[in-house]
Amino acid sequence: MIALAVHLPILLVATPILTAALMLFLRKQPAIQKLLSISVFFILAIVSVLMLLQVWSSGIQAYEVGEWGKYGIILVADLLSSGMVVLTSIVSFLALVYSLDYIEEKSLSASYYPLFSLLVAGLNGSFLTGDIFNLFVFFEILLLSSCGLVIANEKGGVTKSSDKMEATFKYLVLNMLSSIVMLIAVASLYATTGTLNMADISVKLSAMSAAGTLPWHVFGIALMFIVVFGNKAAIFPLHYWLPDVHPTAPSPISAMLSGVLIKVGAYGMLRVFFLIFPDTLYLFKPVIIYLALATIVVGAISAVAQTDVKRLLAYSSVSQIGYVFLGIGFGGVYGIAAALVYLVNHALAKSMLFLTSGGIIHHAGTRDMRKMGGMVDSAPFMSLMFLTGAMSIAGLPPMGGFIAKFQLFDAGISGEYYFEVAIALLFAIFTIFYMFRAMLLMFWGEKRDVNEYGEYSTHGTSSLIALPIIVLALGVVIFGLYAEPLITFANATANQILDPQPYIDAVMTRVVR
Amino acid sequence: MNNTLLSLTIAILFGIGTFLILRRDIVRVIIGLGILSHAVNLLIVSTGVFAGTKVPIIVDDGGHGAVEATGSIFTDTLSLNILAPVLAAGHHTDYVDPLVQALVLTAIVISLATTAFILILAYRIYEEYGTTDLKELRRLWG
Repeated sequence: MIALAVHLPILLVATPILTAALMLFLRKQPAIQKLLSISVFFILAIVSVLMLLQVWSSGIQAYEVGEWGKYGIILVADLLSSGMVVLTSIVSFLALVYSLDYIEEKSLSASYYPLFSLLVAGLNGSFLTGDIFNLFVFFEILLLSSCGLVIANEKGGVTKSSDKMEATFKYLVLNMLSSIVMLIAVASLYATTGTLNMADISVKLSAMSAAGTLPWHVFGIALMFIVVFGNKAAIFPLHYWLPDVHPTAPSPISAMLSGVLIKVGAYGMLRVFFLIFPDTLYLFKPVIIYLALATIVVGAISAVAQTDVKRLLAYSSVSQIGYVFLGIGFGGVYGIAAALVYLVNHALAKSMLFLTSGGIIHHAGTRDMRKMGGMVDSAPFMSLMFLTGAMSIAGLPPMGGFIAKFQLFDAGISGEYYFEVAIALLFAIFTIFYMFRAMLLMFWGEKRDVNEYGEYSTHGTSSLIALPIIVLALGVVIFGLYAEPLITFANATANQILDPQPYIDAVMTRVVR
Repeated sequence: MNNTLLSLTIAILFGIGTFLILRRDIVRVIIGLGILSHAVNLLIVSTGVFAGTKVPIIVDDGGHGAVEATGSIFTDTLSLNILAPVLAAGHHTDYVDPLVQALVLTAIVISLATTAFILILAYRIYEEYGTTDLKELRRLWG
């Protein structure tokens, strides 16, 4: 067990990849696949929590693959990455439990399990890696597996497969372009510093900056990274794919995409800008802040006009990721901690809302909110859970979203960003409006033709569908009522992000074989 | 050497790729993406070409102890003779960086996978919509 404790980072990446391969061979035995994938993902969740505890108690863990020191690929688990891995593992476990009853059996055993495992491997890998080219590789694993998952069929078939094709095409083309941009950036960074290890790049760039010989094209590279991570996170000029892709994906995949996958962009921004390019931040902080404000505005205004419940949630994701980037743009310990608290709360609440919307669609047989109405009687559980999620996204007091918004605005005011906070506050009111408009349209009012539900309405709310939603809702409420542990953790993480020296030490002081 | 010619080739490829991905036909967009990714691959290879005298990989300094490398950032000075790609002390030669070729190999494989996926996707879109015109793909806009 002690010997195994050193290998936790690689376990989190290698196990899902192996599971994916195994699932392909087991596609004729759906029962074994089900049991195996559930147990693997449960174990992964436990392992990720263990790793977080290990990092919390004994500092940053660097795991060298093949003992090549800083010249090889290195996996680094600091508080930020291990926290993100815990978030991924929990949300993915719950989404998998949910999809057992939600995804069509044929699609489930043929392609869903392997692709889902690969998606988790890509997520864990991109959070844990300490090598910038490896980050690109994991981004591609993420991209391809999520494309396959968006196409997966759900039961009931509310989404036409032509819609799925169109959305996936947009997603794939835009993300291929962004990965091309990322390759250009990585190649230029390698040509500038002669290394791909992020800690090593950081050391060399800060040495150049201290000597006053920072080449001007480093600013261009940093800008390219803003484009790349902005595209992953759907920041304002690059957000057009998200409202098409997230609604057409099956609900558990929407929960993964909105809950975790767009957070990869925020993670990359924190990692790359505060570790590698801290000397360009004085120039790019306003860029990040104003892009974030534009994202908030565009997302909130577009969400108000939506009639499709999942499209509304997708635009809400665009708007909410803007708040996370606003916190990153404020900088400082308080701003980053607020961004992290916001990120965790949004991940929980939004994945819960997407899972709930899956139940609602299951129930009503349509995604159009105008055709729903009066569902509070026929689906009381879904309406309670949607209310919980809506209150958290809107930032009403007993839920986690309130703490997150409060921290963020407090950070903005203490950083004297009054104008930015005013805009963000104004559009927080929009958030309340569109979330409760959806609530009113779907659950209150007169009963429409909800008696003639879709094909699967007799199916009801099974325990496999209810359980993940309840767990996430508990998370949302607990982070609202007892937020101190999360805030303490976020503050410690923000301190670690702003002072990259321990990270660099952990990576660079490796013995090369 | 002919770095100008190489840069010009890369620039022209980027230009063609950008032109093609702005077309209305799905197949041209895919070809454009392929050309763009090959332009990037050439760019990565070109970062491994050096005309200088310094070796882009680790240099053994002949056991004089670890000296802080100040001149070129490409020179890492290690006192212990324990690394595999080591050049003998006091010996300088022109060298092509082997790492970028490994990077390009990875990038080629990844772009192969994405291109295969997107070609199949384009075929399915043609089946569903009966056209390869991107302007017709607007069912999700409303």
